[in-house]
Formats: sequence, structure tokens, C-alpha cells
Amino acid sequence: MISSTTEKETAAAKAMELLEEEVAAGSLSDAADIHYLTKDNARFHKTEGKMLAVTVGEETHPVVYVHCSFPHTNKPMYLSVRTVENKEIGMIHSLEDFPEETAQLLEEQLQIRYFTPEISKVVTVKEEFGYSYWEAETTAGLCRFTVRSGGGNAKLVTPVRLLVTDVDGNRFVIPDMNKLTDKEYRMVELCM
Amino acid sequence: MELMIIHSKEKLTVLQQQGWSEKDILFEMTCDRTTDGHFLDTYLVLTRHELLIATSLKEPDEEKTYKGYALPVKNNGRQDEQAGEWSVQTMKIGEIESVFIVNLVASGMLVMKAPEERIIAAFTNGLMTKASRLAAIFTKLKQQEELDSELLEDEGEGASCPKCGRIYPEEGREICPKCMKKSALFVRLLSFAKPYKVSVLVVIVLMLLNSATGLVIPYLTGTALFDQALKGEGYFAGQIGLVILLVIVFRTLSLLFGVLFGIINAKMAANIVFDLKSVIFTAMQRLSLNFFQRKQTGQLMTRVNNDSAELQMFFIDGLSYFIVNAMNIIGITVILLVLDWKLTLMCLLPLPIVVVLVRKVFPKLWRLSWRRHRRVSAMNSIISDSIKGVRVVKAFGMEQKEMERFQRANVNFSGSEQNYNRLSGTIFPVLNVLTQMGGMLIWAFGGWMILGGEISFGLVLTFVNYMYMLYGPVEFMNNIVGWWSHCMTASQRIFEIQDANPDVKEKEDAIRIPVMKGEIQVSNVVFGYEPNKSILKDVTLQVKAGQMLGVVGHSGAGKSTLVNLISRLYDVNEGAISIDGINVKDLAAESLRSNIGIVSQDVYVFSGSIAENIAYANPDCRVMDIVHAAKIANAHDFIEKLPDGYDTLVGTAGYNLSGGEKQRLSIARAILHNPKILILDEATASLDTETELQIQEALDKLIKGRTTIAIAHRLSTLRNADYLVVMDQGKVVEEGTHETLMSAEGAYYKLVKKHDEALKMSEVISA
Repeated sequence: MISSTTEKETAAAKAMELLEEEVAAGSLSDAADIHYLTKDNARFHKTEGKMLAVTVGEETHPVVYVHCSFPHTNKPMYLSVRTVENKEIGMIHSLEDFPEETAQLLEEQLQIRYFTPEISKVVTVKEEFGYSYWEAETTAGLCRFTVRSGGGNAKLVTPVRLLVTDVDGNRFVIPDMNKLTDKEYRMVELCM
Repeated sequence: MELMIIHSKEKLTVLQQQGWSEKDILFEMTCDRTTDGHFLDTYLVLTRHELLIATSLKEPDEEKTYKGYALPVKNNGRQDEQAGEWSVQTMKIGEIESVFIVNLVASGMLVMKAPEERIIAAFTNGLMTKASRLAAIFTKLKQQEELDSELLEDEGEGASCPKCGRIYPEEGREICPKCMKKSALFVRLLSFAKPYKVSVLVVIVLMLLNSATGLVIPYLTGTALFDQALKGEGYFAGQIGLVILLVIVFRTLSLLFGVLFGIINAKMAANIVFDLKSVIFTAMQRLSLNFFQRKQTGQLMTRVNNDSAELQMFFIDGLSYFIVNAMNIIGITVILLVLDWKLTLMCLLPLPIVVVLVRKVFPKLWRLSWRRHRRVSAMNSIISDSIKGVRVVKAFGMEQKEMERFQRANVNFSGSEQNYNRLSGTIFPVLNVLTQMGGMLIWAFGGWMILGGEISFGLVLTFVNYMYMLYGPVEFMNNIVGWWSHCMTASQRIFEIQDANPDVKEKEDAIRIPVMKGEIQVSNVVFGYEPNKSILKDVTLQVKAGQMLGVVGHSGAGKSTLVNLISRLYDVNEGAISIDGINVKDLAAESLRSNIGIVSQDVYVFSGSIAENIAYANPDCRVMDIVHAAKIANAHDFIEKLPDGYDTLVGTAGYNLSGGEKQRLSIARAILHNPKILILDEATASLDTETELQIQEALDKLIKGRTTIAIAHRLSTLRNADYLVVMDQGKVVEEGTHETLMSAEGAYYKLVKKHDEALKMSEVISA
């Protein structure tokens, strides 16, 4: 698992290099034919219904959603702007390429789509009869949830990032296992 | 309709302020998250004419308890909550075009179109079912359709344990893992031993005899030998021979009892585990397809094997040893106290240290062993990766990289292995020394007492021997906590399967039709594997008896799902499917299975001979029938070519059949099954043109005289179809005969044109 994530990282890095050498390595990006949205060719705005709309060239898409290509390894890079029917309008190379206002708008969309409380402190994890009961302080407040043991419900998605999925499929994440205290680590480790 | 009761006072106030009363309400739900990553309630209420959206104006909640976590029991009355401000908006249903759900990552969002799209509220995953019901009810209201009572009913979802208020983690299984009485679990587990109660009794008696005879020996070798026989006083004065003889007799008896109980115990435990395994396996076969798709296959296989092995321990090592060890501890302690209470206390001196040490170190040891286990699995998966993927590894010249990958995992593993060994290598000798220490203390203290003439040498020897006998059982008791929880977890997992309710249930008074005519009617069927992800939307179609219906469409159009529903591997969410005018829900499973045959794209070949595979659905058929079926399926020729003919073993570790050969076997299987209704689900999709032609020929023979539903994206497969249905995104978009559809120049026409072009292309390529 460890190496697959690093591979993902290198894949992402490679893709970026390719983009930079677009002229030289034209063949691959030509073949992929991905339409990149930039601050020059796309205008994002928020509708009255608090949805995200984008105008590309002449065409306006009244409701679009922003998907992360690398939600665990590289959140603000390679965002895919899609309609609810999952049609890609275009990709965003990096949030940094956009003025702050737009970047914030897109960031909001990521918040909506990727609702994953980040665990800042593990209060208790108690395992009993095939379920572990978690109590943790998260970015969304104190959360208590139940995780079925085994079956990859707590798994490392990068060497340090732990994704925990509860019985309903709700997601929680420990961004850096190394930052846990010894006591927290011990509790969490037994559920991995 | 039942009256909706609003349990929250605060929400009731909101409704009253709007002049709404409980009887108007069709449906209500509380969405629990905001769009900016916090928890805050949005209360939604639906009446026949209006939708109310009340957004809490409070600060975001600082706490959230998800489903399954223990909470104090909520009383059923209305709760007093801190009243907060709500921003309330009501909309007429006429003003809203539609309400739908947008699936997000691990959560969802209700969106309305009025006429511009806007967010109503967002919710966490647990509320998905409820939200999709809200959307479904809204759609019905909008279309002024009758509301099913099923839709409005609270399905008992989120039913919670009456004792602790914890919501049952597994839907449809009303067992709270927390409150489930462990004693009840234990009793249930014991019930497996019930048929063997005579054996159990014999085993326990034998074990008690074994320890009783064992308990005599230290007395004989100590006090009796040294203090009486050798000293020439007391009962055994001078009778050294007798004492030695007695020692030999008791040792032999003890050994005999031991061997005997071992044999009986092993036999009994094997029988019990056999029963357990068959219980799990039978329970699994009873469950619906859905259950298997939710759980990973590996996990289920572990359950059948490992969990029952774990329980084998319970019956072999646990139960009887527990009783005997408990008796031993009590017996030995009593004997020791009677012999000399001062020495007894002395030898128990190191015991607290042992207990403390075990308590402190063993959890750590367990953690380290778990870590080691995880790293071994990681390493094993790399090994299996590079062996199974060896072609890819070699093709890309990545051997070096694979070695590095393995090296990393190997280093990790050896590190954790060393840690584990270091600790276990330290703790066990230390524990050993500590237990020996008790003996040392007795020798020292006892020796001093002997010199003082207070006690005799034989007594000290007896004492030391008894003490050593005590440590085994004590250690056993020490481990019993971990062992107990392991067993209970394993049995809990096993009972979970046994208790799981199949989603697709057969009615008690199900109708049996031995031979169906084969008329199929699908009316207004809506279905999705997950809430809110409808795969089929309002599908209606009809197949007359003996007709062949062709279903065409792109992949993902819902064609295979339709098949799953007709054969009732799943139940429809809305609408109905009937065969010969009877709803499939009312039909006996046995009648359905014997009348419907499926030939699908993914063919499974079971371990066994080719003949057994063909006769799978009909094991009692004549050999001749097998050969005939194979002949009709165009399988006969390739089977005859094999050195072992119809006896060729296939499946895991058997002869490797090609895709086309497997497909022909499965067709032969269907031919022998001789169903009235035949479903061909992309039966030839994965084969090359040549093989497809052969199989097509076989299929044409099979189709005669049966109602056939053929699904294909290759249109050539459907040339014999009497009637065609074109599906797209879960809907029937066109239907008619080939001619009418071609002249309509619609979706079917386009598909045929595309197909022709593709054919031409392949002709050009092959030319």
C-alpha cells in the first residue's frame, strides 16, 4: 500500500512535469486531450442557489462540481470540473493559478464534496466484539462513531495518512499518524 | 395513514409558528451537516402541498454521535432542547420543479430545481436512505401519483437497542453488540455442545480423575516417602516398595485418564466444529446475493475457517480445562493451607509480581505481535503481487524496483519481528525465574524451619511439588481474559451470519408452479442497489410465452440488473415483476429457479469433472443426457479431444479451459437444466468472432420452445429476436420489432449503423 501511494505521488509529479514540457512531450497530452481551465478561459461564479457555475468561452454551465484527482496526496492540484451527469467540463491544474477569490470559491466546493472531519486528537478507541468505538476531536467538533473491525475500514492511504470509515460509510481521517501521541497511536494501531 | 409524531419540542414550535400541525405532515427529516464542514441541523418537512426548510441559526454543533455509538436512552416523550433560532422558509410544491440528491464523497446533498438549482441541505451518509425517500415522495407528489404506504412508513431504520440506546450497527439484525448478554452468547455457544453432553460429562469426570490422581503423587513422593517410609514412622513406615508402587500406579492411572480424555475431547471438539462450520455454510447459502456483494469474499472465507478454528480452541482447550484448572487451583490451595499455612503464604509471595508483570507487559506484547502480523501481510501481498503480475513486471523491466519494494517491506517486518522477539525473549525467562523463586523461597525458608525442627524434609518436598503444580493453572487463568474475548468475538461473528436476514425472502404460502408457461410482465419497475442510485427507472416490458426478447443498450444501461430482478436475486424497490401473471415475490424460490436458466458472461466452473459441471443443476440425470447436452452446446468435440474426456477435472487446480470452452460448458449446463425461461446475459460478449459463431449456433438450438430474454451489445446475437427493447440509462427508450425500429430511425437504428461500421472496420483490418 505504501508504495502504491508513493507511485501515485510520482505519477502526479510526472504528470506535472509533462504539463511543463508540454511542447516537448506533446504526444501524450495531445492524445489525452484534456481541456485545462485557466483564469483566462474560464470564469467561475456562485449562483443564487449557492451552486457553482462556470462560463467557458460562450457556454455557461449553471451547476458544476469540483472533483479532486488526488484527494489524499495532493488536494489542490488537478481538479476536475464536472456536471452532475459526470461530464468533464475541464481540469484545473492548480488552485494557485487562479485569483484568490476564485480559488476560494473552488475551495468551498471541495469542502462540500469532501466532507471528512480530520481527527486532531483521539480520545478513546475501544474495541469490542468486532466493532471499535471511537471518540475523537476533529475539525468538525467532537465525533463519536463506530467502525467495523477488519475489512480495511481503517487503512493507510499514504504512509502517514489514515482513512477511517464508519459503519455508515462516513469518513474520518488522521492526517499524520506520526503526530499522534504514543497513547493515541497505540489505540489506533490495534484497529488497523 | 398514521399520525406523524414530532419528538422534538423545538421543531414542533417551528411547525406551529407556520400554522402546521402534525397530521398534515407526510415526511420529515433532519439533515445534519453544513456545506462548510460543520454539523448543524436543517429541518425538512413535507406536506401534500408544501415543503418547509428550517435552518438552525445556532452555532455549529460541537459534538456529533454517529450511528452505532452508545448513547443514553432517549425517552420517547418530547424532549426539551434549548430553543434556538431557526430561519424558516416554506415553498409550495408547485413552485419546485424537482428535488434530487447529489452524491458526494461519503455524504450527500439535497438539491431542488425551482427553476434554478439550489442547495436545500447536506447530510452525512447515514441519512442517505431517508433523504432518498424524501426525494421519492416529492417526485410522487409532483406527479400526483398515489403514495405507497411503504414509502411513508418508518422502516425501523435506525432502530436502536432498548437498553443502551445504541443504534444497531447492522441493518435487519436487531442485536446490540454491546448489550448482547455475553452470558447469552456463551450459552448459545454451549448449545453446540448439547448433542454431545454425555461426552462432555465423561471428559470432565476423566479430567477430574486425572488431576485427582495427579494430586496424590506429590504427597507420596514427599511426606509419605521421606517422612514416613524412610524415617520409619507413621502409616507407611518402612514400606518404601509400597510407596514407590503407589506412585507408579497413580502416575499410570493419571496418564490413562489423561490419554482417554484427550481422545474423547478431540473427537467431540472436531464434531462440534464440524457442526459449527456447516451451520455457517448453510446460513450463508440461505442469504441473498446482496450480502455477498457487501462483504469481501476473503472475509467470509476467514469466518468459515478461522473463526471456527478459534471456537475449536474454546471447546478443546477452553471449556474443560477451565473447569479442571479451577478445581486444581482450589484443591491445591486447600491442600497447601492444610499442610502449612505459613509456607503457603510464602510461596504465594512472588505471585502478585507475576500478575502485575503479566498485566503490564502482555498488552504490549500483543500489540507488537499485531504489528508483526500486519507487516507480514503487507510483505505477503507484495510477494503475491509480483508473482501474479510477473508478466507485467518483466514487460516493464521493473524487477529491480520490485526487489526494492520487497526490501522495504522486509525491513519493516524484520524490525517488528525483532521488537516482538526482544520483548517475548525477555519477559518469559523473567516470568520463569519468578515462578521458580517461589520454590527457592520455600527451600530457603523451609530448610531453615527443618533445621529448627519445626517441619520435616518430606513436607517441604511435598510443598514444592504442589507449588509447581499450581503455576500451570494460574498461568492459564491469567491468559483466559484475552482468550475469552477472542472466542466471544469469533462466536459473535459467526452468529452474525446465522442471524442475518436474507433481503429476498420467500413467502410462507409461496405459490409453486412446477412448469411455467413463461409469460413475463415487468411493470413500472424502479430499482437501485444502493439508496438513491436508481439503476432502473420506471421500466415496463412484456414477453409472451415462447417469444424471444432482445434487450440492447450501452454498458451500464441496466440490462443485467433487469435480469437479476426477473430471477429475483434482488427485490424491486417499486413496481412489480410477474411470471404467468403471478408476482415473483409470491412465487416459491424453488419454482423460480427450476424454471429460469441463466447463461451469463462470467462463467464459473466448479472444482470437479466436466460431467459434474454440466450436470450441476441436475446431478441425477443420465450420462447420455450429459453427452447430448454437450453435443447441443457444441462442447462435445473439444471434450472428446481431452485425454480424460468427460472425466477431466476442471476448476481450481484442474485443467484450464479457455473462455469459449467454459462458455459452452455453461450452455450445456443450461440445456440440461431445461428451463422454461432462458436468460442470455451477454453470453457471447467476451469471445472472439469465430467462437461466438459456434456458440451462437448452440444457443439457437437452446432457444427453441422457450421464453428467452437475450441481452447483448453485439446486435448479431439478437438476429432471431421477435421483439426488441432499447435501454438507455435505466429506461426503455424504444421498443418494437427489428423492422419497425429500423424504419423509425431512432436509437436502435443508430446502434445498428454503428455496429455495421464497426464490422466494416474489422473487415478492413483483417483483410
